[in-house]
Amino acid sequence: MDLARRLFMAQAARITAGAAFVPLASVAQAGINDQPPRRDGDAAKRYAMLIDLRQCIGCQACTVSCHIENEAPLGKFRTIVSQYEVENEETGDLAQFMLPRLCNHCDNPPCVPVCPVQATFQREDGIVVVDADRCVGCAYCVQACPYDARFINDRTQVADKCTFCAHRLEAGLLPACVESCVGGARIIGDIMDPDSQISRMIEEHRDELKVLQPDKNTVPHVFYLGMDERFIDRPQAAPGLWDVRDSAGAELGYEYGEH
Amino acid sequence: MNMESIEIIAPRYGIAWYPRAVEYFFLVALAYTSLWLALPGAVFGVNRWKPIARLALVGAVTTAIAAPVSLLADLHQPLRFWHFYAHFTPWSWMSIGSLILPVFVVLTIGLAWLVWREPMQDWRGERGIVGWVARVATLGHWDSPRWLIVLTGLGAFAASLGMALYTGYEIAVLKGRPLWHTDFLPVMFVATGLIGSVGMLLVLDRFSGMRAAELATAPQTPVVSPSRAVSRQLLGVLLVACILAGITAALWFAVGLTQADPSVAAALDSVKGNPDWRAMTFRAVATGGVLFLGVLALLMRPGIRGLGWVFGLLALHTAWMFRWAVLMNVQTVQRQTAGFSEYQLGMGSMGLLGIIGAFALWLTVLMLIEIFVPWRAALDGPSTVPVSKPSDGVPSHG
Ligand code: SF4
Ligand code: SF4
Repeated sequence: MDLARRLFMAQAARITAGAAFVPLASVAQAGINDQPPRRDGDAAKRYAMLIDLRQCIGCQACTVSCHIENEAPLGKFRTIVSQYEVENEETGDLAQFMLPRLCNHCDNPPCVPVCPVQATFQREDGIVVVDADRCVGCAYCVQACPYDARFINDRTQVADKCTFCAHRLEAGLLPACVESCVGGARIIGDIMDPDSQISRMIEEHRDELKVLQPDKNTVPHVFYLGMDERFIDRPQAAPGLWDVRDSAGAELGYEYGEH
Repeated sequence: MNMESIEIIAPRYGIAWYPRAVEYFFLVALAYTSLWLALPGAVFGVNRWKPIARLALVGAVTTAIAAPVSLLADLHQPLRFWHFYAHFTPWSWMSIGSLILPVFVVLTIGLAWLVWREPMQDWRGERGIVGWVARVATLGHWDSPRWLIVLTGLGAFAASLGMALYTGYEIAVLKGRPLWHTDFLPVMFVATGLIGSVGMLLVLDRFSGMRAAELATAPQTPVVSPSRAVSRQLLGVLLVACILAGITAALWFAVGLTQADPSVAAALDSVKGNPDWRAMTFRAVATGGVLFLGVLALLMRPGIRGLGWVFGLLALHTAWMFRWAVLMNVQTVQRQTAGFSEYQLGMGSMGLLGIIGAFALWLTVLMLIEIFVPWRAALDGPSTVPVSKPSDGVPSHG
């Protein structure tokens, strides 16, 4: 299925129909669990990210720089690169697969309508953010996100997630992960601007782009180039580092245990 | 090409809702289903159901008071609870619930107050704090108007339907977790809630001395006295609730197996082959079976109904474990990474201590009612029954 095309068609439909039927749309938004209107941000923009997996070397530079930039607590990540060792069972050949993951800034984000106090909201430019002063820490949004992109920050006791480094974008800087990416695998930009690098790459690779868990109808706006089908959903893989056990089967420890 | 994959690096996603959430869903389900059991006797004046209504009102009030405390404690920012009311969000089930819950709690307490203040009138003359509370709490010497009881009862009933609906759909709308995203879940919450509340009433019936007192005054015949309708009615409701829960669970499973509902199929798929989940399912089915057969046996053999409270405890366990499995264990299923995260019940206030605390709070409320409210005498109950005379404490079988 040409996901990207379906995606963009849906988006085009949203834009045109939305402009034509504003009152109708606001009636439709009255339903429980429907998307509320967006607020703040520049309505002329739609930020998105394209991750060129062919360029990713799994160095975790993005993970680290994001962790420092956004002061996430130990063991919790706004972005991380999941790494898999894949073995061809016939030939025994080994390959590595890297999957940088972050909030997808979905166009139909299930984390937004659930928030009971509207602390989580989507800006007009598509970025999904949390108002930390308003959040009551109910963690409803954490449960609602199908990508495990959110967590409760142990220090602030409110919901935390990737914001595309909105504070840096506003200052004319690139997000920390994009800035630090060794392979130049992460491209962020405005997809409403046809001349942006991301728009040109989307145009060029339209048929190869994939998103995570498209069947959830969340319409993610982090697009993957060079993505393997088998990792789009929860992968059928053996969790590696989690099982550090002694001979009696008791867990000895974990990479990200309490330090 | 066949592949074998190992996930080398992935964060461990902890759980975001703690056992506090289980406490809340457990207590609040006991509250609204207890209220349903109280309605026929307390509101509509059906004599046959008055003994149950006496117990059920106590059950509903105690759990309705304890439940919101657990809910508040599950927020990471409990002092910001007022944000719910400052920023009402009609499209969020949780926000809708934040309006329904206080209405439900207030109307449930209001109904009990209207019913209880009648027998409390007799205690106005008592000395000490009991008499003082009776004088203050009854708000004067007037009869609770019938229309007000009916109105409050109907209001509480409407709110209780809202509670059942919101607590179910709050979870069922979350498509991010296939094991939650199904219309069967709200039904299951109601069915297991009813199982739990009947269990609670069976235990209350036994340990409040209601059962013993009633049997002591009943004619001693080998056949159970007809006045002991309470056990029969409670067991009857329990049987129906068990059947409802069994059918719902079976349907959910069948729908998943036949792939008729992709969400259920995905849910089954997500835990397929996990030994812990298999063991849990087995335990759940076994407990349900024992409960069902036990209730059936008690219904057919009145002579052994003295054991009712044991099955009451088992019923409470069933209602609790269902919520534990749904709310805690489901959170351990990873969503974008492989495998399962493990959750171990901690000892602190977010774990075991919190659970004990919630139970202690419930017990405290129960004690206060026991001390200050002559609830046994409500709804034409036997006003002469002493609270505790040593000779009444002997359990009776029959
Ligand atoms: S990835 Fe998760 S947190 Fe981000 S917008 Fe989508 S649902 Fe919300
Ligand atoms: S944790 Fe905060 S942002 Fe998330 S749903 Fe609750 S109040 Fe909203």
